[in-house]
Amino acid sequence: MSWVTVIWSMTASACLTLALIHGLVWHKQREAWASLLFAVLAVATAAIAGCELAMMRAETTAGFGLALRWIHVPAWVVTVSLVGFVRLYLHAGRPWLAWTVCGMRTLALILNFLFSPNLNYREISGLRHITFLGEPVVAAEGISNHWMLAGQASFLLLLIFVVDATRTAWRLGDRRRVLAVGGSAIFFVTVAAAETTLALWQLVPWPVIASLPFLGIVAAMEYELSRDMRRAAQLARGLQASEARISLAANAAGLRHWEWDMVRDELWATDRTKARTGAARPEPRRFDHFLQSLHPDDREPVSHAVAKSMNGDGEFESEYRILLPAGATRWVVARGQVEFNGAGKPVRMRGVSLDITRRKEAEEVLRETEARFRTMADTAPVLIWMAGTDKLCTFFNKGWLDFTGRTLEQELGNGWAKGVHGKDFDHCLEVYFTSFDARREFIMEYRLRRQDGEFRWVLDTGVPRFAPDGAFLGYIGTCIDITERKQTELEMAQQRNELAHLSRVTMLGELSGSLAHELNQPLTAILSNAQAAQRFLAHDNADLDNVREILKDIVAEDKRAGEIIRRLRLLLKKGEVQQLPLDVNEVVQEVLKLLHSDLVNHRVETHAELAPDLPPVKADRVQIQQVLVNLVMNACDAMAGVPTGSCRLIVRTGLADGEGVRISIADQGVGIATENLEKVFEPFFTTKADGMGLGLSVCRSIITAHGGRLWAASNPDRGITFHVKLPIATEANP
Amino acid sequence: MSTIRPTVFIVDDEPAVLKSLARLLHSAGLAVETFPSSQDFLNHHIPNTPGCLVLDVSMPGLNGLELQKTLAAKGSAVPIIFLTGHGDIPMSVQAMKRGAADFLTKPVDDDDLLKAVRAAIEKDRAGRRARADVADIEQRLATLTPREREVLEHVVSGLMNKQIAARLGTVEKTIKVHRSRVMEKMKAQSLVELVHLTEKAGIGGKQSVISHQQSAARI
Repeated sequence: MSWVTVIWSMTASACLTLALIHGLVWHKQREAWASLLFAVLAVATAAIAGCELAMMRAETTAGFGLALRWIHVPAWVVTVSLVGFVRLYLHAGRPWLAWTVCGMRTLALILNFLFSPNLNYREISGLRHITFLGEPVVAAEGISNHWMLAGQASFLLLLIFVVDATRTAWRLGDRRRVLAVGGSAIFFVTVAAAETTLALWQLVPWPVIASLPFLGIVAAMEYELSRDMRRAAQLARGLQASEARISLAANAAGLRHWEWDMVRDELWATDRTKARTGAARPEPRRFDHFLQSLHPDDREPVSHAVAKSMNGDGEFESEYRILLPAGATRWVVARGQVEFNGAGKPVRMRGVSLDITRRKEAEEVLRETEARFRTMADTAPVLIWMAGTDKLCTFFNKGWLDFTGRTLEQELGNGWAKGVHGKDFDHCLEVYFTSFDARREFIMEYRLRRQDGEFRWVLDTGVPRFAPDGAFLGYIGTCIDITERKQTELEMAQQRNELAHLSRVTMLGELSGSLAHELNQPLTAILSNAQAAQRFLAHDNADLDNVREILKDIVAEDKRAGEIIRRLRLLLKKGEVQQLPLDVNEVVQEVLKLLHSDLVNHRVETHAELAPDLPPVKADRVQIQQVLVNLVMNACDAMAGVPTGSCRLIVRTGLADGEGVRISIADQGVGIATENLEKVFEPFFTTKADGMGLGLSVCRSIITAHGGRLWAASNPDRGITFHVKLPIATEANP
Repeated sequence: MSTIRPTVFIVDDEPAVLKSLARLLHSAGLAVETFPSSQDFLNHHIPNTPGCLVLDVSMPGLNGLELQKTLAAKGSAVPIIFLTGHGDIPMSVQAMKRGAADFLTKPVDDDDLLKAVRAAIEKDRAGRRARADVADIEQRLATLTPREREVLEHVVSGLMNKQIAARLGTVEKTIKVHRSRVMEKMKAQSLVELVHLTEKAGIGGKQSVISHQQSAARI
């Protein structure tokens, strides 16, 4: 068994095996150019090994020369593929140097076939038997060819190229890789170059052994490539895992990936898209086909969006409807990114799409709801406003804007407040802010400027809005123009007061005799006093003290007369109705004083039972007096037929269930049938021959306007009692 | 009787009016007594005191008109001057019918009031005097015998002595004696005076004639 044969054969076969493997790799992955170069390198190394073995076993000089001549072919291949591999694998090496190396080696190859027997020898004179690895092998003897330097120069240049490339790659990064490929290349090329040079220049008695160093290079490369492949496999696994994760997430999110190879016009999409679109498509589609599957209205916009993304920054986004076979449509939003090649030409677009049909439907429902709200709000015959949680207004309906004649932009926020009347402004904002902070409903009245500049009274009702979960959303409110109502109310109040006044005047007319008598008393006293004084003074010895006393009385009586006139004038006055805090007992006493004569004339005994410490009521003094005078006079009239001595009028005051003050006027007259007790308050109902029948109806309207109540009830024994209830004047109701 | 000074009584529920009226009457030199109510007056008034009453019509309790009625029922003849703030006619007519001395409205002028008061006092005095005269005549009449009374009645009815004698069935001379005795007892100086006295005492000539005719018819 020959060691040389074994080693060289094994070298060749190992190289071929590796070449086969990487050849297959390249076949599967056409872009794996490094594997191809490696395969070529390995094959060439195997060829070198074969040639070397042939040289060592040559029996003739011609055989040796031939083998040596042909060894230059694989040597050329090795050089070129090594240069290519270094360039490709280390991404380094000066191109001109690479070309120079290849050129020099090619020159050496051409010269090899020009000279005979080969580049290395001018003439092989004989074969010399030497012992190698304990075996007899042959080496050539003859005249060396000086052109052999071209081959050796190519090796030198190769070395320089590799060193340069290694240095550059070392500086750039991945040093372990550089060390493995560059370092081994430098080392084994140096060894190979040195050994072949020495052997061929016949300086040492060795056979040519380049294949073994090249095997080292092959081994180092193989180590690196297999390492790369291992890493690639790991990356692929990781990529697969992360792809699976992304895909899971995408599926969960309803996202579909798609990819469009623009060069080949192939559009791929993940399975879900296929499932979603309802068509099983194992094959990629063309973009035109995709467009055809869209809703006709969306084709143009999608094409436009694609064209825009290709001409612009590459970003693509579009919403469109996909037509389903069943005639249904699905809304889809797609986002993608165009990839450009080195020349800036779009080559590929990748992206995701999402089914947004439900969102679109929800949007549609929302839009429809919104539109319905707008329509309702804008056609409602009221002014509608809405405010957010920050108290700023966010919406005004058409009614409002038409009313104020301002734009929505002008009214938004606090802009609306500009239209509020200056006198109502503070009150309006105070009610709004305090209610808002308390999340309370509010109702308020204020004047708002209409577009024609006129201030109109509006009734504004605001309610807080809450989300289903109870979160506060703001307020919504409506305003209605109540100017006319206010006007009517005002007119009604005026009419009521007018009627009250008229009734008062009538009443005082009826009372005039009694009032004249009341006034006559002080006048009588004054006249008599004055004339008495005159007479006293006419005496010679006038008693001046007496006269002084008389004058004092005259002054007092005059004042009393003045007081009666003042009271009368007050009753006759047609002044503004003023509801002020009023002491009920005081009013009752005044009325009894005013009617004193009348009561005496009617032979009526009056009893006043007035509760002390009554709270004041909120009322107009004159109108309450009028009501009491009316009721007392009625009581007198009711007792006209009653025998003298039984005519008792009882006036009581007191608290009414804690919510008001009650005044009761009880007579002992003939009374009224229970079924007529309510009728007495009807206008023109009267039991008197000369009565108008307005007194009690006016009284009731007065008391009602005061927020009180006037009613009649039969007494247990005889006669009736009229009750007046008036609200207490409180802090909030002054 | 005439030595007692006449007094003006004032009844009014209004103290100021009461006081001023009292002052006025006082300034005119009249004696005044005041009462704040009818009841007070009834309780304290002494009926025989001469004078008059100034009375307010409308008063609580017993009013003016009621007091007038009450006094009349008691036989009081005190003249009443009503004062009223109303001055309504029906009321004044009623008061006057019942014998009111006057009816004045408030405020009252001093002259009117004093004139009324003086007139009332005079009326009271006259009344008192008249009542006193009748009593005197009746006393004189009481001294006459029934026959003399008969003769008197015939004399004042205007019959001659002869006619009276015929009627009474006696002689003229007897009648002459009766007649002179009657003139003496009645303290009459003449037939005219006698007739006047009998008229005052309520024995009217006409009435006598009628009764005489009736008695003649009986014959």
